[in-house]
Amino acid sequence: MLQIRALHIQDFGPFKGCQTVNLSPEDGVTVIYGENMRGKTSLLNAVRFAFFGKVIGRGTKAMPLHKIGNWEQAAAGKYGFQVQLEFTDDCHEYKLTRSCHPREGVISPRHDEDYLVDYFLEKDSNVLGPQQAEAEIKRILPEQISRFFLFDGELLQEYEDLLSSETDMGRRISEAIERILGVPVLTSARTSLLRLKEKSEHREATAAQGDQKTREFGNQLADLHAQRHVLNEDLERLERELEEARSQKASLEEAMKKKERLAALLDKRDTLDRLMKEIEIRRAAKQIELQQAMAGAWCSLLADPIRNATKSLRESELALQTELLRADVLSSLHVNSGSECPACLQQVSPDAKQRIELSIHAASDKDRAEKDRELAAIRRKLTALDQYTGASRTDVLRILWDAVEEAAVDFAAKKGERDEIAKQLESVDEESLRKTKTDFESTIRLIDVLEKGVVRTRDLLEQNKSDAENIQRRLDKLSGANLGAERRRRELLSDLHRLFNEAVGAYREQLRKRVEADATRHFKALTTEPEYAGLRINDSYGLTIVHQDGSDIPVRSAGAEHVVALCLMGALQNNAPLRGPIVIDSPFGRLDRGHTRNIIRTLPNMAKQVILLVYEDELPPDLAREELKSKLRGEWKLDRRSARHTELVPRKD
Amino acid sequence: MASDKKTIGITKANATALSNLVIAGRFGSELDAAKFAMAYAVKKGTPPGNIEGAETKWNVGSVDPDGSMRSLLESFYPTGEEPYRLAEHLMNEGIKSLAELLGANGDLYDTLFTSAQTR
Repeated sequence: MLQIRALHIQDFGPFKGCQTVNLSPEDGVTVIYGENMRGKTSLLNAVRFAFFGKVIGRGTKAMPLHKIGNWEQAAAGKYGFQVQLEFTDDCHEYKLTRSCHPREGVISPRHDEDYLVDYFLEKDSNVLGPQQAEAEIKRILPEQISRFFLFDGELLQEYEDLLSSETDMGRRISEAIERILGVPVLTSARTSLLRLKEKSEHREATAAQGDQKTREFGNQLADLHAQRHVLNEDLERLERELEEARSQKASLEEAMKKKERLAALLDKRDTLDRLMKEIEIRRAAKQIELQQAMAGAWCSLLADPIRNATKSLRESELALQTELLRADVLSSLHVNSGSECPACLQQVSPDAKQRIELSIHAASDKDRAEKDRELAAIRRKLTALDQYTGASRTDVLRILWDAVEEAAVDFAAKKGERDEIAKQLESVDEESLRKTKTDFESTIRLIDVLEKGVVRTRDLLEQNKSDAENIQRRLDKLSGANLGAERRRRELLSDLHRLFNEAVGAYREQLRKRVEADATRHFKALTTEPEYAGLRINDSYGLTIVHQDGSDIPVRSAGAEHVVALCLMGALQNNAPLRGPIVIDSPFGRLDRGHTRNIIRTLPNMAKQVILLVYEDELPPDLAREELKSKLRGEWKLDRRSARHTELVPRKD
Repeated sequence: MASDKKTIGITKANATALSNLVIAGRFGSELDAAKFAMAYAVKKGTPPGNIEGAETKWNVGSVDPDGSMRSLLESFYPTGEEPYRLAEHLMNEGIKSLAELLGANGDLYDTLFTSAQTR
């Protein structure tokens, strides 16, 4: 079993110069304390780099190696870094040294291409050849299952995807789980037997073709086998392409996640552009309405002068009307001399008659016509004044004006926001952002097409298999020259294939039960909720919390997710043929003190060697000492020397 | 009355101000803006007069197709005998006043709605 003895790092991340962490050969837990930005994740990455030559950032994307070397050293012109891991496995001592240094002739490296990564592996003090070294590393810690040994506590959330069989992450984790549990040994054997069985079927068909009695069936089978061969190749190709497309989708998802903020800004800017266009159209329409209404706005200003003029002209009209009426009455009295006054119905006195005569002679016809013209002019003016009174509705004007103003204000606000976003996007490669999104969408479409292709090819293979079985049955009733031996071979391989097929199913079922039982045991020790009775496993190794009344707990918090994921880790360690140390970065960040205490107490039962990278608030040293007691094998701390320099020192307080 | 103007013009000095009024976007045409300016001048109590140097802009038939504007001006200025000459004078005076108002951070909105609130 793999056990790390020491880690020597040189100029890796904040670890300037050569620094070493020695680990106890005894089973137990080593705690390395470090506050944020001191280098806990770098330490986890140093182990990862030693084994696989990779450094992973937050998430799952590889980080450029150019950025990994110590910055202070780089500032002083010294580039590159090295990690050496001392470990034991199956009673052998290993020393794995991996370094990254500038290529010959490169003085100031700027990209990963300017570096050369190489490594060598010593086994019991003998340096192994490159192929042997690679094979040993793959045997000791295959990269595909490294997620169960070296992990970031923050990423435990990913294990929730196991509950949904449809996600790529869930599928990948599920495959990795089967790998650590050793299922591929059986499935690979089953695949080999299937190939052998098919070969034997083909040989039997060829033998049948050599005999007159069985030739027809032999020919048909040979055709079906040839067809199957092509279909199998197609299926393999489709599955390979599907895998590539899924991995492409995952990395595009990762890229999109990283650029999520910028993509959101881009979307927002586009939305604002669209809204601004809409507002501008609305404003322009309202402006035209307003301009039309403004044609009569001048009348609104004249409301008071119109009122005053109307009043004055009405008075003049009345005076003139009275004067003309009087003249008409007098004229009538003059014409009908001797008759009664039409107003008082009294006889007109001679005195009054004389005054009427005088008055009539004083008013000439010319005067009368002038007065009539004057009255007509007043009436024309009054008509005009009436026409302009209320010609313009200020309330309507105000509504339109306000609407135009409102649209203009809205537009200005949106433009301000848009310009601010545009400033933030100035140095962003929009084309690349859009391309990532487009690539992601086309990858989704490609996956859909490939998935349909896989289903279709499998159906065709099933049909081929069924047709071949029918012919085989008919052929089985006949005998031929060499047919007997080939038939026995085929039957033996068919039986073996069937046996392994059933074995895979049975083994998986057993594994699931064992993992469920172990995970439940860990869970009961870890959970602080007494009503939780255990965990239930699904086909993808996803674990659901079960209440004591037998019902599932449908929703769980991020903290509960971490607890469940740790239980799965522990259960996998218990059941895997391959075991090793667990190195965890910040595992308690989301957990309360009760859960932290339970986990610390349980960790020594989950794996023989555990290395915890924590900050003090997450795991107070007193708590670790109290709970781990003799299982605490070492305490280290990441000591700050400068922003770009951390020293690894044993903790002595 | 026979000597009244057949066309109405705007002085060179006021032409730019009139154009600016239209560019500001509230008026659909220079004639609408000029009528507004005329009303503004009436409201301000501008005395009758005669503008010099106006360059022909419109025929009176375009400005006052039914003659009602003439009647209106005659109502406001009963002693005037040449209402279209008066209209020309008031338009130019109004444009000048509005340009001064807007130049001093004044606002057409207030001019229009505050003064017309009583209606």
